[in-house]
Amino acid sequence: MIENQKNYLTYPKGIMSWLLTLDHKRIGLMYLFGGLAFFFLGGLLALGMRLELAAPGNDFMSNDTYNNVYTLHGAIMVFLFIIPAIPGALGNILLPLMLGAKDVAFPRLNLASFYLYTLGALFTIYTIIAGGVDTGWTFYTPYSTTSTSNVIPMTMGIFIIGFSSILTGLNFIATIHKMRIPGLTWYKLPLFVWALYGTSLVQITATPVIAITMVLLILERLLGIGIFDPALGGDPVLYQHFFWFYSHPAVYIMILPAFGIVSEIIPVHSRKKIWGYKFIAFSTLSIAFIGFLVWGHHMFTSGQSVFSQIVFSFITYFVGIPTGVKIFSWILTMYRGQVSFTPPMLYALSFLFLFTIGGLTGIFLGAVALDIHLHDTYFVVAHFHYVMQGGTIVAFLGGLHHWWPKSMGTMYNQTVANICCLGVFLGFNGTFFPQFLLGLRGMPRRYATYDPQYADLHNYSSFWSAILGLSIFIAIMNLLWSLRKNNKLDPGTNPWGAMTLEWTHTTSPPHPHNFEEEPVLEHGPYDYDKVIVEPTFKK
Amino acid sequence: MAHQHHITPLSIYLTIAATLLFLSGVTVWVSYVDLGAMNIVIAMLIATTKATLVVLFFMHLLWDDKKLLTIFVMSLMFLGIFITITLLDTEFRGGVNPEVKDSINKRAAFYDSLPLTDTHGNPVDEHGSSHHEEDEDHH
Ligand code: HEM
Ligand SMILES: [Cu+2]
Repeated sequence: MIENQKNYLTYPKGIMSWLLTLDHKRIGLMYLFGGLAFFFLGGLLALGMRLELAAPGNDFMSNDTYNNVYTLHGAIMVFLFIIPAIPGALGNILLPLMLGAKDVAFPRLNLASFYLYTLGALFTIYTIIAGGVDTGWTFYTPYSTTSTSNVIPMTMGIFIIGFSSILTGLNFIATIHKMRIPGLTWYKLPLFVWALYGTSLVQITATPVIAITMVLLILERLLGIGIFDPALGGDPVLYQHFFWFYSHPAVYIMILPAFGIVSEIIPVHSRKKIWGYKFIAFSTLSIAFIGFLVWGHHMFTSGQSVFSQIVFSFITYFVGIPTGVKIFSWILTMYRGQVSFTPPMLYALSFLFLFTIGGLTGIFLGAVALDIHLHDTYFVVAHFHYVMQGGTIVAFLGGLHHWWPKSMGTMYNQTVANICCLGVFLGFNGTFFPQFLLGLRGMPRRYATYDPQYADLHNYSSFWSAILGLSIFIAIMNLLWSLRKNNKLDPGTNPWGAMTLEWTHTTSPPHPHNFEEEPVLEHGPYDYDKVIVEPTFKK
Repeated sequence: MAHQHHITPLSIYLTIAATLLFLSGVTVWVSYVDLGAMNIVIAMLIATTKATLVVLFFMHLLWDDKKLLTIFVMSLMFLGIFITITLLDTEFRGGVNPEVKDSINKRAAFYDSLPLTDTHGNPVDEHGSSHHEEDEDHH
C-alpha cells in the first residue's frame, strides 16, 4: 500500500517537474536545500574566523582576508539563510497545510520568489569568486562608497533577494486572508500562522526600504550623487538611518517565525493546551509594530542627536514587554504538562534558555550609557548570536526535526538527534558566552588580531565553536541519512500526536494536492484538554 | 463577499485630471517662491496629494475593498514614521558636540566655492561669525 501511495515527493516525476513546480511543498524544499547550502558555506567562513582568532596574531589569514570573511559570513547568514530560509522553507511547506488549503494564493508568484532568491544567490556567488567584499554586512558609508571590493554585486544581490522577500510576504498575507477552510477563524489558526502573518507584514513594509538603501548606495558609488557625502551636502549617518529602518524590523523577520515554531512544538510535546493563545498572537503583532520605532539603538555612537538617543532608548525597552509575555506563556504551557524530551522539544527548551539571554542582553544594549561602552565590542556579537543562532537557528532546527516526518515521511535516529541537540547547546554557550566577557573587557569586533590579554577567552571560544559546528553538521546529516532506502514511515504516522490539520488530515508525506478532499475542522489546534490524539508511529 | 464593479462617471475622471494639471502648475509656480525650510515640505505635500488622487480615483482604491485602502494608508504612515524620527536626529544635533550643530552643508567642501552664509542665509565673514545681530547663539 505504501508503494502506490501518491505523494508530492514522488509525483510527478522528473527534474523539470521540480524546477517548474507550482507546488508550495516542493518550492519549500528547494528553499530548504538552498538555504542549508548557504548555511554550510556561512558556517565554514565562521569556523575560518574562529581559527584565526584562536591565537592573537595573524596566524591563519591576513587582515584583508579576514575583512572579507566576516563580511561574507554576515551577509550570507542574514540575507541568504536566516531571512529567506525559515519563511521560504518551513513557511511554504506548512502554511497551506495548516489552513487546509490546496496551495498558496499565488503559486506562480511563489515560484517567481524562489527564482529571484536564486538570482540574488548567484550575485553573491559572483561576489565571492570576484574576490569578496570587505565592508561588513552593514555596508556603512563612507567606507562602502570608497572600498575597492565588490560592493555593487553584493548589494545588488541583496536588492534582488529583497523582492523575493516582499513577494513571499504578499503571497502569505493573501493566503492567510483568503485560503482558510470554512470554520477556521482567526483565533483557531495555529500560532505558527500568526507568526508568519506578522513576519509577512514586516517583510512587505520594511523590505522596500533596504531596496532603496542599496540602490542609493550603488548610485552613490557609480554616479557620486552625494546623498551620503558631506562634501556634496549629504550625510553619511543618513545611511545608517536607512539601513536600520529596515534591519531592525528585519531582526523580527528572523525571530517571529522562530517564535511561531516554538509555539507549535511546546504544546504538542507537553500534551497541553497553549497558555495565553491571544496573548501570543497579539504580542506577535505588537512586536512587529514596535520594531519599527527603535532602529536608532544601533546608532548610539554615530553622532545622532541626544534627543533621538533618548527617544530610541526609551522605546527599545518596550520591545521587552511582548517578548516577555511570550516567554512566560510558553513556560506556563509546560507547567504540569506531560513534557517528553524528544528532539524538537529539546531544541525548543534550548531556545527558551538561549533566546532569553539574547533578549535580555539586548535590553542592556538599549541603555544608551551602557551601549556607548559596549557598542562594536564582542558583547554585541554575543548578543546577536544568542538571538539569531541561539534563538532563530535553534528553533529552525527544532522545527526541522518536528516536521521532518511530515514533509519527508521518514524518521531520523532520535538518540543521535538528542545528542546533537545537546552538542549544539553546549557548543553554542561555550562559543558565545566568553564573547560577552570579551566585550565587557573591551575587545572590539571585526579585528583579526588582538591584545594577548584576550587570548584565553578567544581560545576557549574557538575550541567550542568546533563542537558547535560539528554538532549542527551531524544533526543535518542525521536528518538526511533517514532518507535512505526502505526507511519509509506508514503514511498515517503522527509521531508526536499533534492536532493541527497538517498532521490529522493528510498523509506523511502529503498528497500532491495536500488533502484528498477538503478537510473539515473538528477541533482547535491545541485542544489537548478536549480531544485525545494518540501519537502513532509505524514503519 | 459580493464584489461590485464600480463604474466611475467620466465627469469625475475629468475633474481629477484637471485638478492634477492645476497642481502641477502650482508645483512649478511655488518653485519660484523661496519659502526657506518649507520648500521641500510644500513640494512633497503637493506631490503626495497628487499621488493620493491618482490612487484613489484612477486606481479605484476609494471603491475597492477597504483592506487595500488600509494598506495604502499604512504605507504612508510608515513613511511618516521614518521621516519624522530621522528628523529628530538631523534637526537636533549638537547637544554633546556643538560643532555638529550647524547644517552639514555649511561646512561642506562643496560650499567653499559659494559665498559664506549662516543657516538663515545671512552673509558671514571668513571666521564664521555672523553679521546678523540676532544670531549670537553660536556655541
Ligand atoms: C529583546 C529584544 C532586543 C533588544 C532590546 C535588542 C537590542 C539591541 C541593541 C540595542 C543593539 C545595538 C548594539 C550596538 O550595536 O551597540 C542590538 C544589536 C543587534 N541585535 Fe538586538 N535586540 C533584541 C533582539 C534581537 C533579535 C531578536 C535579533 C535577531 C534575531 C537581534 C539581532 C541583532 C543584531 C544582528 C545586532 C547587531 C547588528 C550589527 O551591528 O551588526 N536582536 N540589539
Ligand atoms: Cu535593533
